[in-house]
Amino acid sequence: MTALLDSAALDQAGDTGTTLARLLRAEFMKLRTTSAGWLFLIGFIMFTALALTLNGFGNHSLLYPQQGLVSPAQALAQAAHARSPAGVAVMAASMMTSGQQFGVLFALLLGVVVVTSEFANQTAAVTFVTVPRRTTVIWAKVAAAACCGALFWLVGTVIAAVATPPFLYSQHVSASLAGWTVARSVTLNLLAFVAWGVFGLGLGAVLRSQMASVVAALVVYAGSFGTMVVFNALYNLFHQGWMLGAPVIGPAVASEVMITSGPAFPYAPPGWVGGVILIGYTVALVAGGVVLTRRRDVI
Amino acid sequence: MVVLLAVVVIGGLVWLVRLYRGGTRTDRARTDGAGPGLPGRPLGGKRVAPALMSQGRIDVRGLTKEYRGVRAVDDLSFTVEPGRVTGFLGPNGAGKTTTLRMLLDLVEPTAGTATIGGVRYADLDQPIRRVGAVLEAGAAHKDRTGRDHLRIVCQSAGIPLARADEVLGLVGLGAAANRTFRGYSLGMRQRLGVAAALVGDPQVLILDEPANGLDPEGIRWMRDLLRTLAAQGRTVLVSSHLLGEMAQLADDLVIVAAGRLAAQGTVASVIGSMTWQSRTLVRAPELEKLAAVLGGDAVVTPSGDGDAYITGADAVAIGDAALRAGVVIHQLVTQLPDLEAAFLELTAGKAAIR
Repeated sequence: MTALLDSAALDQAGDTGTTLARLLRAEFMKLRTTSAGWLFLIGFIMFTALALTLNGFGNHSLLYPQQGLVSPAQALAQAAHARSPAGVAVMAASMMTSGQQFGVLFALLLGVVVVTSEFANQTAAVTFVTVPRRTTVIWAKVAAAACCGALFWLVGTVIAAVATPPFLYSQHVSASLAGWTVARSVTLNLLAFVAWGVFGLGLGAVLRSQMASVVAALVVYAGSFGTMVVFNALYNLFHQGWMLGAPVIGPAVASEVMITSGPAFPYAPPGWVGGVILIGYTVALVAGGVVLTRRRDVI
Repeated sequence: MVVLLAVVVIGGLVWLVRLYRGGTRTDRARTDGAGPGLPGRPLGGKRVAPALMSQGRIDVRGLTKEYRGVRAVDDLSFTVEPGRVTGFLGPNGAGKTTTLRMLLDLVEPTAGTATIGGVRYADLDQPIRRVGAVLEAGAAHKDRTGRDHLRIVCQSAGIPLARADEVLGLVGLGAAANRTFRGYSLGMRQRLGVAAALVGDPQVLILDEPANGLDPEGIRWMRDLLRTLAAQGRTVLVSSHLLGEMAQLADDLVIVAAGRLAAQGTVASVIGSMTWQSRTLVRAPELEKLAAVLGGDAVVTPSGDGDAYITGADAVAIGDAALRAGVVIHQLVTQLPDLEAAFLELTAGKAAIR
């Protein structure tokens, strides 16, 4: 079509890739041009630094139990276990994933913001008029939320990788960060960050309201740990063995089960069960978000 | 393995950054030496090829939208022609915004069709290059600059980012390009909305209350812009509550009330369709006595505030009759029908339905 308003830019428009690629670039631009994304990243860096420090103190007390708190024999046994190759590997893994349990909240909430800010700022109509393919719009947001999760993981892991070797050295223990125990935790940590980012996106797409989605995300996350209390109480009443592993149905507990080396809690199911449950919730939320976004009127 | 994983993730992120930067770099290269676009250049008088004219026709047929049993839009049909400004009028809650949103595939119709050039909006190839829409003055992120808002629209639509500066200049927001939306006045927000609508240089423009919040200079600017765009052969459909402004701006009118079509046609034909073509407002203490001495064709209708409208007899005849009967006249004003009168007559009793 002839440019009716003379335009150098439009005259030179060329192929800019698929709709999904264009939308993904636009999503990054949206994140980059508002303060929310940057504030989340700064907050995450500060939180990771704090978590590393606290984790370091905790691990130090494992290696050097304070006299008086435990008996000398217990202290000796605890320190010996912590200093064993397996103990040091677990310690290194915990350092490398410091703050993970609450760090994923940053990815979760940013995922929520990626989609709900469109409705909070009434830009959803602009977005869907620009590209009326709503499923593609949501997929671009899913990809953006996953990338944000991966970025948080990378930043947290880099900070931990810088801090962990000097810490281990200062404690006179050594462990390879390339060992299986550390690698497994770090890898699954990446999966957790990505999954929680997309989980938040799906939750936001389903609920649309920013306030409701943030509250729901926090309730789901914190409430997950309530399943431990509930199923323990049920076990005490009915003595069914499966009830001890059942708390894994809480998304945050599932995430813990997935990334923890060994049982996350007594009678916890294997790690893959946690992974399947977390990813299952995430897929269900995104699917629900896509269906609802396609069907809903944008008013 | 951690190192390998980190390398893979870093590689992925770098690829994404390059994907992102690639777009902007190409855009910069494309516009090197091209200048900012339209500095100071008046909108030209280019005419659209006849083939494009049919692509710009808006056709609404039997459009219906129900919300929980309430019909917001009820079997609405009208056509909007290219090359003309069509005013879309109706009382509050008449279904104007719902109709425009159905036209843009934001709201799913319960029944009926709304097409642009015979094609549903959702099925248009590169819709933003065909249709530009101004929906709400507050439709931008408060922390984002006007330029970034438009660059995101460009990015999503695959249009070079330099186009953002061109349309900012076109709507007179060049100096405020780097201010955040939070700091924009309502008039500036309206201009930004118009800028977003013009990003794709569309054949069709759909504007929902674009003059709301504009000062007199801004209203005049909007009128000149829309008239010029229509003169270029574009289709301009604009809803508004400002009847006086619409009388100056529009060529055609579509008037809806309670979700139904109340009138459609040129401004002159809509005004001409009124039940009276001329009336006289009379203020007199003895209206009954005056009515009795007027000829048989005269119809006296109380205005509700002690005065009366008289049709069927002009001011001269009324004055002569009053003199003969010795009736005192305090005021005698000849009124010709205008858009406001036509609008109120056509939508009488329907404004408060919802």
